[in-house]
Amino acid sequence: MKIKDLMIRDVTSIMNDCKLVDLIQILSRHKITGVPVVNHNQEVIGFISQHDVIKAALPNYLEIINSSSIFSEFIQLSKRLQEYSEHPVEEFMNKKVLTIEEEDNEVLAASLLIQNKIQRLPVVRENKLVGIVTLTDICRILVEKTENKEK
Amino acid sequence: MIATVTLNPTLDVILEVNGLKLNHYNKVYNTQTTAGGKGINVSKAVRACGRETIALGFVGGNRGITVEEELRRLGITTNFWHIGENTRSNIIIRDTKSGEHTLLSEPGPRVTEYDLKMFHSAFYRVISQSCLVILSGSLPLGVPEEIYAYLIATAQEGGVKTILNTSGVQFSKGLERKPFLASPDIRETNQFGGILIDREKNAIKAAEKIVQKGAEIAVVSLEEQKDIIATRDELWFAETTYPKIVNLIGAGDALIAGFAIALTEGKNLKETIEFAMACALASALREEEEFSSREEVEKCRRWVKVKKYENRMER
Repeated sequence: MKIKDLMIRDVTSIMNDCKLVDLIQILSRHKITGVPVVNHNQEVIGFISQHDVIKAALPNYLEIINSSSIFSEFIQLSKRLQEYSEHPVEEFMNKKVLTIEEEDNEVLAASLLIQNKIQRLPVVRENKLVGIVTLTDICRILVEKTENKEK
Repeated sequence: MIATVTLNPTLDVILEVNGLKLNHYNKVYNTQTTAGGKGINVSKAVRACGRETIALGFVGGNRGITVEEELRRLGITTNFWHIGENTRSNIIIRDTKSGEHTLLSEPGPRVTEYDLKMFHSAFYRVISQSCLVILSGSLPLGVPEEIYAYLIATAQEGGVKTILNTSGVQFSKGLERKPFLASPDIRETNQFGGILIDREKNAIKAAEKIVQKGAEIAVVSLEEQKDIIATRDELWFAETTYPKIVNLIGAGDALIAGFAIALTEGKNLKETIEFAMACALASALREEEEFSSREEVEKCRRWVKVKKYENRMER
């Protein structure tokens, strides 16, 4: 199956020069964990997730995720988020963004998502954002395929 | 890609009754819900014709999520900004006994300045992927009447053509920025610029006035399935002659979709009008709101008649 037939046809994204405070609004309002970062031509130039923001605000992030409580770091997180709120998202985004072409298939998408431990993969046509594919969508398609075969 | 803007979309709830009695108990025997709003209806018709389309605007709450999910299922790309309040709902009472449709329309949620800023950011990005933008429908609370004028200017800066289809002050202000095609929504008042559109002569006057204001093409609906189309040099009368219209809700939006499709496919004005009228008829022949294929539109072309006023004195 082609990615264009299973992707979510939504191009919610953020421009590289938008502020961190806007990113947090987008993630919160749209109830998503991350968005592609695009330039003024809608070309994908990065990806930013809530974890990228927390990593930037808490440099000892890796230690915290293994500890039993983040209570002691909470004040620092709050201060840093306020400090960074007006900074552009390009400061925090992951510039080595993975994308997939809409003409590619679900096997490649599953491979990219699993091997890179990511939740959302931007779908592009000539590097311009046309949708998003998630592991959940691929699992749904695989289950539907199995059900159809059994029938 | 054809982009549509729906600033005040709806979740339409269609209630079917058999003989509506006002001030009385009425039993509903069928209920359907569907995403609505003029721009969204245009996107649905564009997609039904096999063309790519992206829908923008504001949605909110669970109704908004339902709207987005329906559009994506239809193959329409979405880029709505999520606002704090719930998307409005329209109640359409379809009386199968009388064949009448009654529409009860909510005013819509409030949009903040921040929502507007974020919408503008999305519009600016999407323009770079679009060949034409359709701006249509009413405005929710908090949105300035100049918004369509501003969006037309933004699209023009990006070299993108615009179609304006709305009513009232937002139409007049949008028209000042010279959209490529302008069509006033006269469902509520049946007039434009002080001209009562009750006869062919007055519809022509209104269309000519719109062209004088700067639109390259003006489309004015005269009555059911009759339209006047004017440019600086030409004047056309178009009608459909199919005897049994089923549902006029959404037909005007299908007409606009038809113009958008034909204009982006390089058709001449006569072919464009014929295709647009066929889209409107295909929509009007369906009980559901939109047709589902380009074949349906092509079949309707034989019921479309267009006439060019060779000499403007002819009218």
